[in-house]
Amino acid sequence: MKRSLRSWLWRVPLDQEFDEEIALHLEMRTRELIDNGMEPAAARAQAIKRMGDVKRLKQTCVDLGRKRDREMSITLWLEELREDIKFAFRQLRAAPAFSLVATLTLALGIGANSAIFALVDATLLRPLPYGDAGQLVTIWEKSSATARGFASPPNMLDWQSRSRTFAAIAGYTPSMGSMVMSGRDGNALTVSRQWVTSGIFDVLGVKPIAGRTFSSEDEAQRRRGVVISEGLWDTRFDRDPSIVGSELKLDGELWPVVGVMPRDFEILGRTSMWAMRPFPPNMPPRARGAYQLQVVGRMKPGVAVEAAQADLAVVAEGLAREYPGYNKGRTVTVEPLHDTMVGSDLKTTSMLFLGVVGFVLLICCANVANLLLARATARARELAVRSALGAGRRRIIRQLLTESVVLSILGGLLGIGIGAAILQVTPLLIPDGLLPASVTLAFDIRIVAFCAIAALIVGMVFGIAPAFRATAVSATEAMGADSRTTVGSGGRVRSLLVMGEVATAVLLLFGAGLLLRTLIAVQSYDRGYRADNVLTMLVDPLGSAYPPPFKQQQFYDQVEAEVRAVPGVADVGWSSGLPLGESVFGEYPFNYEVVGDAPLDPARKPITAYQIVSSTYFSTLELPIVAGRAFDARDVMGSPRVLIVNEAFARTLAPRNPIGLQVSVKPVDSPDDKPVTLEIVGVAKQVKQRPDESADYVQMYTPLLQDPIGDIHLLVKSNTGRAEALTAAVRAAISRIDKQQLVGVSGVTTLENVEWIATGRHRFRAVMVGAFAALAVVLAMVGVFGILAYSVQQRTRDFGVRRALGATSKDVLNLVVRDALKVIAIGAGIGLIASAMLGRMIVSMLFGVQPLDLATFAVVTVVLSLTTALSMAGPALRAARIDPAMALRSK
Amino acid sequence: MPPTASKTPNGLLHGALDALILKTLTRGPSHGYAVARFIEETTADAFLIEDGSLYPALYRLERKGWVEAEWGMSELGRRAKLYRLTDAGREQLAAEVATWKKFSAGVSKVFAT
Repeated sequence: MKRSLRSWLWRVPLDQEFDEEIALHLEMRTRELIDNGMEPAAARAQAIKRMGDVKRLKQTCVDLGRKRDREMSITLWLEELREDIKFAFRQLRAAPAFSLVATLTLALGIGANSAIFALVDATLLRPLPYGDAGQLVTIWEKSSATARGFASPPNMLDWQSRSRTFAAIAGYTPSMGSMVMSGRDGNALTVSRQWVTSGIFDVLGVKPIAGRTFSSEDEAQRRRGVVISEGLWDTRFDRDPSIVGSELKLDGELWPVVGVMPRDFEILGRTSMWAMRPFPPNMPPRARGAYQLQVVGRMKPGVAVEAAQADLAVVAEGLAREYPGYNKGRTVTVEPLHDTMVGSDLKTTSMLFLGVVGFVLLICCANVANLLLARATARARELAVRSALGAGRRRIIRQLLTESVVLSILGGLLGIGIGAAILQVTPLLIPDGLLPASVTLAFDIRIVAFCAIAALIVGMVFGIAPAFRATAVSATEAMGADSRTTVGSGGRVRSLLVMGEVATAVLLLFGAGLLLRTLIAVQSYDRGYRADNVLTMLVDPLGSAYPPPFKQQQFYDQVEAEVRAVPGVADVGWSSGLPLGESVFGEYPFNYEVVGDAPLDPARKPITAYQIVSSTYFSTLELPIVAGRAFDARDVMGSPRVLIVNEAFARTLAPRNPIGLQVSVKPVDSPDDKPVTLEIVGVAKQVKQRPDESADYVQMYTPLLQDPIGDIHLLVKSNTGRAEALTAAVRAAISRIDKQQLVGVSGVTTLENVEWIATGRHRFRAVMVGAFAALAVVLAMVGVFGILAYSVQQRTRDFGVRRALGATSKDVLNLVVRDALKVIAIGAGIGLIASAMLGRMIVSMLFGVQPLDLATFAVVTVVLSLTTALSMAGPALRAARIDPAMALRSK
Repeated sequence: MPPTASKTPNGLLHGALDALILKTLTRGPSHGYAVARFIEETTADAFLIEDGSLYPALYRLERKGWVEAEWGMSELGRRAKLYRLTDAGREQLAAEVATWKKFSAGVSKVFAT
């Protein structure tokens, strides 16, 4: 304090200080010399001479003085900070209940935010794990049907050779297929495989950890080859380096392994190997219509997405002129690869969560600010004393802010723990397929940094209002006054804070309500079939051991008979895909047209989904045939080809009766194939393909007996209840048929589980937002309770007087409740208005419910009434029970 | 013209001046001129310092926290900047004195031979 006195109180400018000092010195020296007998003028001259070069001296001293002042103010600042922190801890220890509640509140808020930040960071902020990932883009073919369509191989090759903005372009098939791999030990294994063009690894900039990747020479010479994943290398080959160069038997044919890719290399989805699909430069013209590739390009350094888009648009224009048959009206969409991978669904979900936890954090801040305000009122005298003792307002505000920041840092530390705990749990909640394969959630230094910054900002945010409030009372006012009379000051701010909390809680509650209704809607919607008690697994007989069609079909028939004999099995069916599950054929693999109708423009032909099923499929799933017949013994190899369509398909043919119509079907992605003509024999009830699809989707079924497939789901309906219980018996039945172990069995699950996964993202959102909304409501309740309890305590005397003057306890109760209800009602009103406005923002995540859902409004209002009543009950009853005599005696 | 400072070895001068100032201030707070006078008197003008060199030394000592300044009254009844020894300054002085004693004892032994 003493050292600072000079610089803080005297504040004489340094050069003036020096001048005065030297003047005094010269004067005294002159006097001394005169006393010794010198002439005054000579004495003066002598004194000045002894002083030397005053100008230089002054410069040296003022410079030294400046440095000293600067060092001193830093030291002083640090010293004060240390004292403030010490003092803050003393204050917190003195009020343990307050400190605990405040710290826990902040920890919850910061913890929830850090966990969600981890999600946002992993999905939106971090670049993809590829070298110079900013230059990677997805190139889609844009047509009248879709802005993001797959590309045909010849178009991709032309983009590559004609564009000027790309370093390289490559492609891959978006869906995984699988191959049966014969192991060295003789056990067959189904492995997933993705087709790629030779340049894909170079475009993405990923180096193999063993061997090499595909070269353009491989492509030119149409060499066969696979690159395997590190996962497969680990599990099947024990990281044996000699695997590179050796050959794997896949689907009965030999494929050389050229390299191994590191574990974190994923394109879209997880796969065990990548096989090269060569495209020769002189493909037949019809290949232009085979839209089968997802295309990735690496833009040259410094090229922006817009420039690449413009460049490729010109190329596409040229292609449309040269090949009008397939390319007319088609252009390209170029988008950053990051956008493709993360997807709009994940982006909106992340932003939703971020908004929600942000609101929760605001409520936490409001609660702690409220606690601080209450305390500041109680500490008014202490602060007044300090200010009377010479502490300036700025100094006191700094002290109070230090206290709140200390509090928030404590909360932040605890919050890091809570965030880590949440992140331990969330991966279990995150549905499959929501996060791209390249994204993993990790609690790392970035999250800790986030917590630290959040804590500092939060400390300032909730501390600043109470600090200004507390120091606004003048010293004489606070000291002279009885503590009872300083009540009203913070009251309005506190009411506003609680109002805000209630409004925010209502908003979150409403959002959670809408998402919950969506979840209920997708779960209870009539899917057209019965999913309960059905066990399913993917069966993949090795092609060379069970050649289609006869040996393969014989195998299926034997398995079916064997499984039917298992006790507890009610029905057995086969299908190439599962409702609500992924189809191996892609979403809409076929074009169709009615035989005899005028031919349609190839780009405008209707498309249909495609499923191969056994004749027992419909009975196994209790899927009704609404017109015509199901497949039966007539529909075998050699007899006329038939199909069953779904209701949406039938509607496209209206007003004609679909039964008996001949339909010509052709794969979308290989126009070289000859169209197949089939006759519609039945119409099946509409089945949902996605739980939240808004338009009915068009689908056709063909009989397994006419359309053999070597990669098929076995469906087993149980008549005893739990379908999982049949797993071992069914697998044993398959083994009894497949004595040589040449059939891969994978993906054992139940249809209920497939549904559970399909509705996962809705559940994830509903659960997360619901949990945060619940947290918000509890925090708001604490806020209401706090303000009410405090005001009852402060007005004890007032109530006592009223009781003494004849007011009943009911009157007092009314008095207390009325104020609180006003705050809550206004808050809730604001919340509902905000909900009505913000509801539209999440409309893309809703299904089966409108953003202005009245039922949800009603439920939110009821929940709010109950919770506030609960939080008001304690303080209100206490007010009603005030004994007038006691109240008046109390101070 | 009084004798010059060449009477004392130059290298010792700098540290010695600091120590002398600190020693002077043990008698109580004083202004720059008083410090200069005291040193002249006690060293019997053997240690003659240019008045000008005293002030940078004082400012340096203040920056190190060995002395602190405050405003007081001079003998002339005018406001004067007074220097006061701090606790840190007292410790520094003790250390310098000990060093000096060791040094001079060593030198004396050499001269005694």
